[in-house]
Amino acid sequence: MNETDSTSCSPTNSTAHRPPAVELSGIWKRFPGVVANAGAHLTVLTGTVHAVLGENGAGKSTLMNVLAGVYRPDEGEVRIDGTARHFRSPADALAAGVGMVHQEFRLVPSFTVAENVVLGAVDRIVRRQSIESAVGDLAERFGLATDPVRPVWQLSMGERQRVEILKALWRDARILILDEPTAVLTPGEADELGGVLRRMADDGRTVVFISHKLHEVTGFCDEATVLRGGETVAASLPVDGTDASTLAGLMVGSAPMANERPPPCVVGEPMLEVEALSCLGDRGLPALHEVDLTVYSGEIVGIAGVAGNGQRELAQAIAGLRPTTGGSVRLGRTDLTTSTPRQRFTAGLGYIPEDRIGVGLAPRLSVTDNAILRTYTSHRKGPFLDAGAATNHCQHLVDRFGVRTGPLDEPIAGLSGGNLQRLLVGRELSDHPQVVVAAQPTRGLDVQGVKAIQDLLVAERGAGVAVLLISEDLDELLMLADRLLVMHDGRVVAEFDPESARRHTIGEAMVGHASTGVVT
Amino acid sequence: MSRPVLARRDQVLRGGQPLAFGVGLLVALVVGVVLLMGSGHDPMRVYERMFDASLGSSRAWSVTLNRAVPLGLAGLAVAVAGSMGLWNIGAEGQIMAGAIGATWVARIGEGWPGPVLVPAMLAAAVVGGGLLALGPAVARARIGVNEIITTLMLNEVALRLVQWLIHGRWKDPDSHGFPLAPMLPEQGRLPNLFERAHVGVVLAGVVIALFGLAASRTAWGYELRVAGSSGATARYAGISLQRKILTVLVVSGGVAGLAGGVELTGASDRITEGLSNGFGFAGIIVAALALMRPSGVAAVALLFGAVQIGGQSIQTMGVSSSVSTILQALILFGAIAAGVFSRYRVEMVSGDAAEAAA
Repeated sequence: MNETDSTSCSPTNSTAHRPPAVELSGIWKRFPGVVANAGAHLTVLTGTVHAVLGENGAGKSTLMNVLAGVYRPDEGEVRIDGTARHFRSPADALAAGVGMVHQEFRLVPSFTVAENVVLGAVDRIVRRQSIESAVGDLAERFGLATDPVRPVWQLSMGERQRVEILKALWRDARILILDEPTAVLTPGEADELGGVLRRMADDGRTVVFISHKLHEVTGFCDEATVLRGGETVAASLPVDGTDASTLAGLMVGSAPMANERPPPCVVGEPMLEVEALSCLGDRGLPALHEVDLTVYSGEIVGIAGVAGNGQRELAQAIAGLRPTTGGSVRLGRTDLTTSTPRQRFTAGLGYIPEDRIGVGLAPRLSVTDNAILRTYTSHRKGPFLDAGAATNHCQHLVDRFGVRTGPLDEPIAGLSGGNLQRLLVGRELSDHPQVVVAAQPTRGLDVQGVKAIQDLLVAERGAGVAVLLISEDLDELLMLADRLLVMHDGRVVAEFDPESARRHTIGEAMVGHASTGVVT
Repeated sequence: MSRPVLARRDQVLRGGQPLAFGVGLLVALVVGVVLLMGSGHDPMRVYERMFDASLGSSRAWSVTLNRAVPLGLAGLAVAVAGSMGLWNIGAEGQIMAGAIGATWVARIGEGWPGPVLVPAMLAAAVVGGGLLALGPAVARARIGVNEIITTLMLNEVALRLVQWLIHGRWKDPDSHGFPLAPMLPEQGRLPNLFERAHVGVVLAGVVIALFGLAASRTAWGYELRVAGSSGATARYAGISLQRKILTVLVVSGGVAGLAGGVELTGASDRITEGLSNGFGFAGIIVAALALMRPSGVAAVALLFGAVQIGGQSIQTMGVSSSVSTILQALILFGAIAAGVFSRYRVEMVSGDAAEAAA
């Protein structure tokens, strides 16, 4: 992108003399149906903490997995300390000094901290005490407070993360990659981690830090690189000289407003009414705080927000897949607060979950089996499923929604991402819902797939359906939504009119710097 | 430089499993030649004997079929649970529990005519096996206790229960002090079909076919498939996972219990501590080879039964029981290993960056 040239600056004085530890250039990585990295590049100077920013799906994790030897790039070059490298495995990368702390920890719960740290990295029988004291020393040196003799299952997430970092340090990683390390941390722990990372940089190590939380980046990172759509849109910005809203703008993009905005629709009665809805997240902490929202029939309400601010939980709570701790959900005149997922579907609530395979679709089952997932109870003859009716229903979906598929009795594994989503969306729309909750419906799809799904949602709106569209793609929301709500920290913090809202202002609301349009 | 790696097939090879069994058998027989020659036997004669004893005559078939019955029912029990991702490792104990139930009915129904007594015994066997699985089922459904551990541990409980009964209350007064239960009455036995084969062969076939039908054609089986594919998808579709886990594990236990009942009424004189004879554990292998599909269980059980009967028969030729057991294990091992290739194929990848690590 041409923005790269205009926004990349020379490093600040403090980093000017440092040689680059990591140079990634022209990295391409394609997965079936998805291009994760499209010529991304990244340069990280030795002894700095470098943030890699981007929304979900921007290609951050893929790029880091390339650097850490987990993936091999389709094209492009990886240079470590100036030497070109072709990593075939994480072990290769580690041998070159690159260690990665993944989002999911890879620890043995029943082993102690010390045992986990040295696991696979000692090649002879050693005395337990000497290892424990060595691990203790290493932890102390970097301020990673842990007790080497405690079993890992007793540790908090923050402590486990320290063990993961210790593992990398024990293996003498000079370049440490942390994939969204703060996602599992409390704010206090996150600050502590910042101190640890600074200390490592001061020790001459290089830290690459993936995040989408802007305040962390401004807190302790030296430079930041921003990815969007698999490309580098801004490389090595000095964090000191860049304000958060510029970074926010780079993350969400600044493409001109699409002019093919669907014409406004006649808005009718309130269809979906959510009042003071609260629920807990996966880790048992409050994820939604008394969210109120109403979607009228014939409108698309967009929910914008940085991933992890309660959007996912909101969708699940409305669909009945997450127990609520307060508040109510109503569809028209029907109170759905205590209804089961099936009752909600029958009442007219279609739900397109963000996890297509594994929630919306059953892997390993056939196309037909997946097509009747919501309605199989009506395709029955006594205890038997009416195979003919099921096949007809499936064929109807496939024809109407243009799903390209092989034989209907083959597992869905053979379908591309776009066709899987057509099948899923088609199934949810085919039973004439009154409300559709769509979570990330176009994420990871190719251009045609995106267009097809967006057209379907717009058509529903035209037919008087109330659509709640949750997306991390601000362009999509601005194009489709009639009203735009912004979520931050489990609350709806702002409402915008997509016609007139400034992207910049929306970006600030998304990262909690809202000053205008705040409704809380 | 290139090296072979296993790559997952997009689709499981159709008919791959029977093929795998065949290939496994062949490989095992070839390896077995070395084994047998090493222990001083003529491999061809041994193999001939194995075949004759298991599949060579109608009498051999009857013995093999009788052996396939408990293997098939135990395999079905494991497969029913396995089709939704649950592991019933307790079929061994549930077989015992089924036999206890059946024996109990035989004791209270002493004078009942056969057509009443045998069905009642079999029903009690189903209940017995189901009851033993009830605890693990509730624990798994309600609080997520791992059913592998609980079902496995209950095997021991069921075995001890049988021992306690035949050393105590159910001890035959005429057994001269031996810990033996009394013989079952004649009307408490399954009628014969042909040669040695009993009616249990038909019964097991029908039960397996019914489950095969239920799994592939009914809403119940559909829900099972969805739940086995992804728990989250099942919840999304409105299927109660708790209730599914509960019913599936109890049904699985009941089927294993039926295996115990049929084995008792068909092939045994009385309840003994050796009645389950490893069928419950063998059932795990049967189910795994049948890819957890009820429809595949019958064929696998038949082959497994033939291997067992054939393997035992060669002991009378002086082949030691350990060699015979190794031979049986080789065949099964070969089949399981070959089964991998119906899901994976061998691909050669070039090792272009082999030097990068250096």
